[in-house]
Amino acid sequence: MEEMELQLKLALSSNLDEGFDLNDHNEEQEYDRLMKKKRCFDETFEEIKNVQVPRTLPLLDHIDLCEEEDGVVGWPPINSWRKKICHHYHHNSRRGCTTPTNYVTVKNGCGGGSRSNSMYVKVKMEGVGIARKVDLSRHHSYQTLIDTLMAMFANEKVQGYKLAYQDKEGDWLLAGDMPWG
Amino acid sequence: MDPKLKKTKNSSSNSANSPDSTHSSFPFPDEVLERVLSFLHSHKDRSSVSLVCKDWYNAERWTRTKLFIGNCYSVSPEIVARRFPRIKSVTLKGKPRFSDFNLVPQHWGADVHSWLVVFAKVYPFLEELRLKRMTLNDESLKFLATSFPGFKALSLLSCEGFSTDGLKAIATHCKNLTELDIQENGMDDLGGGWLSCFSENCSSLEVLNFASLNSEVSFDALEKLVRRCKSLRILKVNKSITLDQLQQLLVLAPQLIELGTGSFQQELTPLQYEGLGIAFSNCKNLQTLSGFWEDTSLHLPVLYAACPSLTFLNLSYATLRSGELAKIVAHSPNIRRLWVLDTVGDKGLEAVGSSCPFLEELRVFPADPFEQDLHHGVTEAGFLAVSHGCRKLHYVLYFCRQMTNAAVATIVQNCPDFTHFRLCIMNPGERDYLTNEPMDEAFGAVVKTCTNLQRLALSGLLTDLTFEYIGKYAKNLEALSVAFAGSSDGGMQCVLQGCPKLRKLEIRDCPFGNAALLSGIEKYETMRSLWMSACNVTMSACKLLAKEMPRLNVEVMRDEGSDESQADKVYIYRTVAGPRRDAPPFVVTL
Repeated sequence: MEEMELQLKLALSSNLDEGFDLNDHNEEQEYDRLMKKKRCFDETFEEIKNVQVPRTLPLLDHIDLCEEEDGVVGWPPINSWRKKICHHYHHNSRRGCTTPTNYVTVKNGCGGGSRSNSMYVKVKMEGVGIARKVDLSRHHSYQTLIDTLMAMFANEKVQGYKLAYQDKEGDWLLAGDMPWG
Repeated sequence: MDPKLKKTKNSSSNSANSPDSTHSSFPFPDEVLERVLSFLHSHKDRSSVSLVCKDWYNAERWTRTKLFIGNCYSVSPEIVARRFPRIKSVTLKGKPRFSDFNLVPQHWGADVHSWLVVFAKVYPFLEELRLKRMTLNDESLKFLATSFPGFKALSLLSCEGFSTDGLKAIATHCKNLTELDIQENGMDDLGGGWLSCFSENCSSLEVLNFASLNSEVSFDALEKLVRRCKSLRILKVNKSITLDQLQQLLVLAPQLIELGTGSFQQELTPLQYEGLGIAFSNCKNLQTLSGFWEDTSLHLPVLYAACPSLTFLNLSYATLRSGELAKIVAHSPNIRRLWVLDTVGDKGLEAVGSSCPFLEELRVFPADPFEQDLHHGVTEAGFLAVSHGCRKLHYVLYFCRQMTNAAVATIVQNCPDFTHFRLCIMNPGERDYLTNEPMDEAFGAVVKTCTNLQRLALSGLLTDLTFEYIGKYAKNLEALSVAFAGSSDGGMQCVLQGCPKLRKLEIRDCPFGNAALLSGIEKYETMRSLWMSACNVTMSACKLLAKEMPRLNVEVMRDEGSDESQADKVYIYRTVAGPRRDAPPFVVTL
């Protein structure tokens, strides 16, 4: 099973568009300062106009390799039993298929019951006390990930946000800069 | 009403055996009333009867033989035992429905054992037990098998905690078993040896369903069992049974009414193929077909002879394409219920629309629910096609990736008799893909047009308007399922205030908060339960609700790492049993 150290943050796009460099070390200190304060959602939103420093809201705590969930927890509403069957279909290739669109065979396999390719991230937005889990391996583009996250977090309110993540080396990268793979 | 008082009165009038009743208001002796009431089977009718007066309450309780408990925590085994002395059949449901989708943590409860212990004392002649979303272990199954000598029927659906070892006990000890129905449980399949535990004298089986178990069973044992159980009417085998073996079973049991095939994939010689076709054509009573594990399309034609008599076809595990489905439904004009995978596509559904004029129920499951690609599955076109051809459609469960308000409006115009409308647009918060509007008008059309609607499941981007429509029009609604929808407390309030028959409300990931929760304060006692998770409800509101309504259990489960004031998961239900005594630490009863 692969494990990756990943941190995901939702950052306000207005600041990021200004070419703000997240990798500037000053920002790490700023991040630490922010971490110590609890800000409510409305406060944060108001400060967009005034503040130079991006309000990077810590999203991810850890990878949670949960056996059963993909995407949003418990959605679509399909019971565990049927989900196992779905995974099973991925395993078997279709015989002599003539249509081009078919099931993507999961190369690393999910046989044996464990979803070894799953990458669960716990997503928490400041001001919203509800954590969500998202399986990154189930998304094939930043857009779908963002769409799903936006839908999860009362979408209308988060239009000013962009997605940023911190990789193993501690560098902040804007989602979309690198290809999804 | 003092139960002791009633018991004395009733037993004295019984022992006196006097035809003269002392009750001036009611001329019939208890015996006559009891005889009449013994014809009542619906538990809803019986509940109504029991409310008429004390005499009727007593007569009803002495004549009730079937117990239905929709929420195992709404009542205790002791209370049940005191009230009903003569129960032979029990149906028990446990966990909230959202536990099917992993929203309820492990070890939440709904253990059947404490019920079995009481039943063993009070109902030694218990014959049937049907459990849904209950927890039970092998010890419980062994206890069940050995405590009730006349035990006949066991049905387990969406249960967990047991293994095939428990089934061994049932097969071994229940000498009069007529039904063993194991459906889609979270159980451990440790091997197929349980099937061989049926004694050679056992010939009473009428229902045997082990389709969801994977381990190989002894075909020899199965074959002998089928051969001697002449009353067998439902047989659903698992994947380990080959087509060849299936044919042998069909020859032994042509009287079958319901058949679950095993693996439908095997290289057959022309002779075997012919033999299979003949076997199917000899099953003149076949009404239900299911199973079809693996890639099945090669051999589907063998079924055609049996298709004309079919009323229920469950292809929901078969990755059929449109052409394959079209051929089957062309042979199945009498189909009432059809379950398919969305691999059949809109074209497959068009074929259904043109071939199945009597269709009443359609369920389309996603073969690949986590795939974002829009090119898979079905769209509004397929649903529309079915609605044009199948005007009697009243039950639908439809998973899709795109939908429009206009399509739904047309669908319900074509089929105004919907009682169950469960639409799942798989991306949360998805708009009408043509107009980009929310899906409010779709569900508005459903509730306005389908006046008999009992069950509704919502999806797509929905504002409070949807809920206003529901509250205004859905006067027969009993069950509502909501996810990622609504704009404010007003939405939930509309439903609570407007739907008089609402019994089950389950909500997740919606912006409904304390005002919404508390607006239903008097309604919850008229409902079976309310589930709210990932909404904006706080502990203080839950505490207030619990304080005001002592006959509700208000249970909160908090997610790790969340704010102490947040009530992440709330489960509220009416009960006469008081707070749970078996609640795990993460369930807090307020």
